[in-house]
Order: sequence, then C-alpha cells, then structure tokens
Amino acid sequence: MNGYTVGENGTNSGMTEQHQFQLFEESLRKVNKLVFQMLINEIIPLSMSVERKLEKSNDEEVSSNMSKLDVNEDSNTTNLLKDIVPSNQLIHDLLDTKDEDKYNKVIDRVRNIGFQVGNKLSELLIFTNNPNLQFKDMDILLIMKFVCRDVWKQLYGKQIDNLKTNHRGTFYLFDYDYPPIREFCIEENALKKELKLVEPFLEFPVGIIKGVLASLGYPPEQVICLATFVDRPNNDIPDTSFAKGISFHIQITTQNNQ
Amino acid sequence: MSRQQSINSSQTAASATAQSPLSRSFKATGEDVWKRTEKINAELFTLTYGAIVSQLCTDYGRDFTKINEQLFQMGYSIGVRLIEDFLARTALPRCQDMQETSEALSKCAFKVFLNITPRVTNWSSTKDTFSLIIDENPLSDFVELPMDAMEQLWYSNVLCGVLKGALEMVQLDCDVFFVSDILRGDQQTELRVKLNKVLKDEIPIGED
Repeated sequence: MNGYTVGENGTNSGMTEQHQFQLFEESLRKVNKLVFQMLINEIIPLSMSVERKLEKSNDEEVSSNMSKLDVNEDSNTTNLLKDIVPSNQLIHDLLDTKDEDKYNKVIDRVRNIGFQVGNKLSELLIFTNNPNLQFKDMDILLIMKFVCRDVWKQLYGKQIDNLKTNHRGTFYLFDYDYPPIREFCIEENALKKELKLVEPFLEFPVGIIKGVLASLGYPPEQVICLATFVDRPNNDIPDTSFAKGISFHIQITTQNNQ
Repeated sequence: MSRQQSINSSQTAASATAQSPLSRSFKATGEDVWKRTEKINAELFTLTYGAIVSQLCTDYGRDFTKINEQLFQMGYSIGVRLIEDFLARTALPRCQDMQETSEALSKCAFKVFLNITPRVTNWSSTKDTFSLIIDENPLSDFVELPMDAMEQLWYSNVLCGVLKGALEMVQLDCDVFFVSDILRGDQQTELRVKLNKVLKDEIPIGED
C-alpha cells in the first residue's frame, strides 16, 4: 500500500493558470454553505419519509377511491403538513427498521441522489478548465486524486485527508473530519448505537464517488464502494467535532482497466 | 393594526421606528452577514436540488401533488432549524408588523442564505399578505420542465416549506405558496406569504 499526499499541485509554470482559475472560481455565483449542508443532510430523512408514504399508499390502494375527493386548496399550506414526521424521528425510525428490504430501499434512494450529483458534478468541474485536471488515458489514480481534491473541495470545502492504493484497483480514501456530520453530537457511552444512526449519512458521499467514477468511464457495476467509521490517526481535531473519521473503501472490479 | 407581531424574541427590543432607516438596516445587515458567510458554488446547489426533485419524480411516478407536498415538508424541516442560525447571525430585533417581516425575509433571509433579494410587492389591503418576486432562483437555474411537470409541479416548493417552518418558529402562522413560476411558462416567479394569525408568544426554548 502506498500513501499519497493529495494536496500537492503541479509545477511552477502552472501558477498563473492556477491563479486565473481561482479568480474564475471566485467570480461564480455562490450560496450559503449551511443551506447546502442542510439540504444534503435532509436527503436521509426525506428518503425515509418517501419510503413510508409509498408503503402507506400501497396499503391504502385497496380501499381507496374515496380519498380522491380531497379538495385541492392551494392556499391552505397547513394541510400539506398534516402527516409530517420530524426529521430526527425519521432517522431513528430508519435505524429501528427491522425490515432489511425497506432499509435498503431508503439507502438506495440516498445513494442514487448522491450518484446523480456526482455524475453532474464531474461534468461541472471538468468544463471549467481547471488546470489541475488531466486525465491521461483515464488513469484511475488520477481520477481518484480528482475525487479527493477537486470533488471533495467543491462539495465540502476540504480535501480527502489521505489516499491509499495497492495499484490493483483497491483504494482507501480517508476523511477524518467529514463536514456534514461534524456537528453531530455523539455521547461516548452510546457510541455504538449513535454511530449506527449516522451511518446512512455516509451513503450520500458513497453515491457521489460512484457517480463521479461512472461519468469518467467506470460504470457502477464495476465499482464497489463502502464507507465505514475509522479512528483518527491523531487527536488534533477539537472535542466538539464528531468522534470518528470515515474510510471509503473503493474496489474497481474490472480486469481491463488498471 | 393593534396587535404586535413578533418575529424575534431577542432581548434587544426594537428601538426602530420609521420604516426607511430600518429597511436600510435590513439591507446592511443582510449584506454584512453574507460577506462573512462560508459559501459554496451555486451551481452545485442547483444540481443537488435537481437530483432530489428528480429522485422524487421517480419515486412518486410523476404524481406531482405528492412531490409538491414532499418538497414542502422537506423545506419545513429545514426552516424550523434554519431560523435559529438566522437569528443568531443577524441578531435582528422583533418585527413590528408584516411589512417589516417582508423586508427581513427579502433583504436578510434570502440574502444571507441564497444571495438574492426578492422584490416585495402585491400587498393586500389589510397588510397581512404580500408577494415575493424571485427573479433569480438558485434552485432552478437552467432548469426546464417537461410538459406534464409544467402543469402541476411547483419545482421550488421547498422554499415555501422553509418560510412556513421558519415563520412558525417566530410565532407567525402563515400560509406560504407559489402563485406562479417562470418554469411553468409564467411571466415571473411569485411566492405568496399570508399571515393567518400571530401565535401566542411562548417563552422560546433556551431562554429563561
């Protein structure tokens, strides 16, 4: 296994390009990072909520026909909230689901949204003339570095902390301070259960990684990606932060691609 | 109007009186907070929201009534939490009436979170209902809807939910809904906010 530093940039001659690119990036329209983070975190309870509703409507279908009568009062928005379940409740419900099939459906939904985002995001990044990007022969290592550096930076404002590979299609990406879960409070004594609760939040970035790889020639059926919690190598991250780092284990299963 | 409407329970009771200086201070506050805010590329935000809507279209088999509802609920869940951050960052005083509320929404809330400032217009004669005209919508940049969706989908309905949830947390029971959307071929994107009643002023959580 070789370790790679992710952050290093190209040669000196690239500096002006680099600077220009930075200016270009800064000129793009922006929105508040918090809003984005809340949106992506809300994907998990949303996916659970959808699952519950689909389940419910399946049950009702038999004895329906009557419910079609509900008056479409556009202006009464309180009506839209009649069956709302708070997000934290939905996340707990997901954890407590005994039905494995149901759990997987929810997780698939989260991954799928991540996949779509990853897929379009790499397009977005590649068409910005980023001088960091050079995919010679679609080399998988370069693509992984692209994920670690550019994709992560764009999404989370930080890079992946460490990348390891055996040069035979196995990669480990370590993020020791994954921003969307940074502020989740975990009580030390309830660690195991609470980590389970946070697990679904790792499926969005799993989808992202698979989406990016798919857009660059590695279709989802040739890629396995699993996220697990890992301990941090050192303790320079404040106590207020989430207690664990994340490891993304990526396996490229095709023989032809190096 | 006899009753006071409270948008914020901060202890710094409003000393503001005239409308125009306050309105200017909303603008200044919004811009100031925006400057100090961590930001991300708007296009990333757009495509992420797009991925969510598209997933819902798949899940609900293009039943747009259900999609509208789900987006609204998602927004509500965000709004009830987002308001905390908003109050903490802006430290705005209580709004005295809906006119102030509308300014706070447009010049502060929309500015701070989405970097846009929708126009406030179409006031009802009772001054409890107004519209926000959203000229640039970072949720729907470059989005085009297929025909069936154009007729029924409120693509940005998450916004209504966010406002509904946030306003409710500051004791304003409102209806929030779109009346038109450029994505549907309308002239403009108009979001309507209608005050139903001011909820009883309860002691906010965390304040003694």
